[in-house]
Amino acid sequence: MNLIIKAVLWIIYLISLYFAVFWFIVLIDNEQKPRRKKHKEKPFVSIVIPAYNEEKRIKATVMSILGLDYPRDKIELIVVNDGSKDNTVKVVKKIISENHHFDIRLISQSNKGKGAALNNGMRNCKGEFFVCFDADSFVEENALNIMLPYFAEDNVAAVLPIIKVAKPKNLLQRMQWFEYNVNMFYKYLLGRLDCIHVLPGPFSVYKKSILKKVGGFDENHNLTEDLEMALRLQKNSYKIIQLKSPTVTTIAPDNFKALYKQRNRWYKGSVLNVVKYRGMLLNKKYGDFGLFQLPIVLISGLMTLVMMLAIIYYTLKPYVKGLYNMSFVGFDFMTFIRNYTFHFDILEINYLMLFVSLVIFILSIYILSKSHSFFEERYMKFGMLSVILYVTSYFFILGVVWIGIAADLIRGKKQKW
Amino acid sequence: MVERVVSREKYIFAGLIVMGIFFLGFLLGFVIDMKRAEYIQKEGRINSMDFNSLQLQYAFIDQLSQEKNCDAVSKSFDSSIDQLEAARIKLEGYDVNAKINKDEFQLLKRDYIQAQIRYWLLSKKRSEICQDDTVNLLYFFSDPKECPECDNQAFVLTYLKMKFKNKLLNFVFDSKINDEPMVELLMKSYDVKTFPTVIVNDKKFEGFVSKEVLLKELCEYSRNKTGECSGI
Repeated sequence: MNLIIKAVLWIIYLISLYFAVFWFIVLIDNEQKPRRKKHKEKPFVSIVIPAYNEEKRIKATVMSILGLDYPRDKIELIVVNDGSKDNTVKVVKKIISENHHFDIRLISQSNKGKGAALNNGMRNCKGEFFVCFDADSFVEENALNIMLPYFAEDNVAAVLPIIKVAKPKNLLQRMQWFEYNVNMFYKYLLGRLDCIHVLPGPFSVYKKSILKKVGGFDENHNLTEDLEMALRLQKNSYKIIQLKSPTVTTIAPDNFKALYKQRNRWYKGSVLNVVKYRGMLLNKKYGDFGLFQLPIVLISGLMTLVMMLAIIYYTLKPYVKGLYNMSFVGFDFMTFIRNYTFHFDILEINYLMLFVSLVIFILSIYILSKSHSFFEERYMKFGMLSVILYVTSYFFILGVVWIGIAADLIRGKKQKW
Repeated sequence: MVERVVSREKYIFAGLIVMGIFFLGFLLGFVIDMKRAEYIQKEGRINSMDFNSLQLQYAFIDQLSQEKNCDAVSKSFDSSIDQLEAARIKLEGYDVNAKINKDEFQLLKRDYIQAQIRYWLLSKKRSEICQDDTVNLLYFFSDPKECPECDNQAFVLTYLKMKFKNKLLNFVFDSKINDEPMVELLMKSYDVKTFPTVIVNDKKFEGFVSKEVLLKELCEYSRNKTGECSGI
């Protein structure tokens, strides 16, 4: 049994090291920048905000859109109320009445999920470009002017901004701030190999004709319609471009329960979607996306889960065993305490494992530093403690999420967005 | 449509780098294994020298009836046997981590088993010469598959060693060291067939022996009836 666990852990080490080295090679390789084209005339853009119980945040979100530096006659904003039970409708109506000079519309539907809300917005919009915008995000005013020129080629289906955590207040949000920066950098690298597998909710710009061609958002798939759309676009060999700017900020969960719920939905959705598109898995026809990226999406969660369980097992095992052994000597702890001597022998360390872990750690620190400098952020912005906590403990938070997902999948529990 | 590409060169290059890193890791492991073996060998040489000196000291006491010096020599004996035990535990730990030099560690294990037997014989002789009440305990164990209770037995013996300190000498023998004929000879002479087997001053206990039973047995030999042995 121990041998099997050790073998599995070594395989995980090997795969992790391979991934880290592979992406390091992608990073140092020459970058082919995507083409840009200046539109003769500013194209019409429709921005759709799907909203479910967003009375507290919808106003700030809409105001962020109204602050965009883009001709007012070339932009429309549609808020799709997905059967909210709070005062979202009332708040939106008030915003509309206060902003006559802007084309804002409210569409209401019974609660059908985010995919259905986005499709409803798409059916009722007239823009050449369709922008999905979550009700908890804020966008830079020049975003559209930066992003739209990247639709230079016919095969470009979506252009994505950088997403950062808005004003992190507590430790959990700060950890997510690090995570977003690293993930965005990773996504930027994914973009170099046409391997982007998710189109985030906050301000992803789509070419509407392509969205319609591929059938719009999946209404049956309520967990991660953005991920499902990315896979569908990849399957149809459309291009997704991840930019270095503009920046969209989003409010990150400020407590563990909310974070757990969000990540459970995201990660579970990613697993279920990859299973749905399993035909692309390890399929040479889809290039690096099928051969490399999709297997990573599928096994990274599994690896986190196994590592987490192994850490729990190896941490608890000596204590459980120790307690069991103590039962043979009448739990006489005092004798062991009195005879305790500190023992450290440098030659007893498992150097091969230490060496591989050290290489992975150094690469991780390099990526952490590089990802922040890439987006002109300082990773020491919130002090050393935040960095240490992110590096050492964030994995465990995500590990707990993966344990929850495994339990949900085993129990067959269903979840809504 | 996007022209799908397989970054073959990158995959191969990454694979080569990973192989290189693992190779470096193995190389480092090999160097460390050598250092471990060197360290144990050095400890072995020191211990062997200590043993020769002790043997000489007891011969001196025995020949010249110098029993008054028993206490002083016993201190050296205790310290040497403690060092031997510490080295044995280290060797076990190194053996677990050893990736390359497994054979070398097996040879070192044999060395230490022989040293333990020498010390056991010397301890018996010391008891005769100096008339002390030190208890010699032989413990024969096997791997967890064959002997699931051996781990618990070892824990109880460690506990008793903490209690009796140098009044109890534990000599530990791994029955799986097949290539050391002396272990086989010992097992034959005590008719050891099951594991764990504990021998306390020639009295044999087969199977797991509880703390209480061993405590009672050890106290029978102890002259000091206070402390661990009070009320027994």
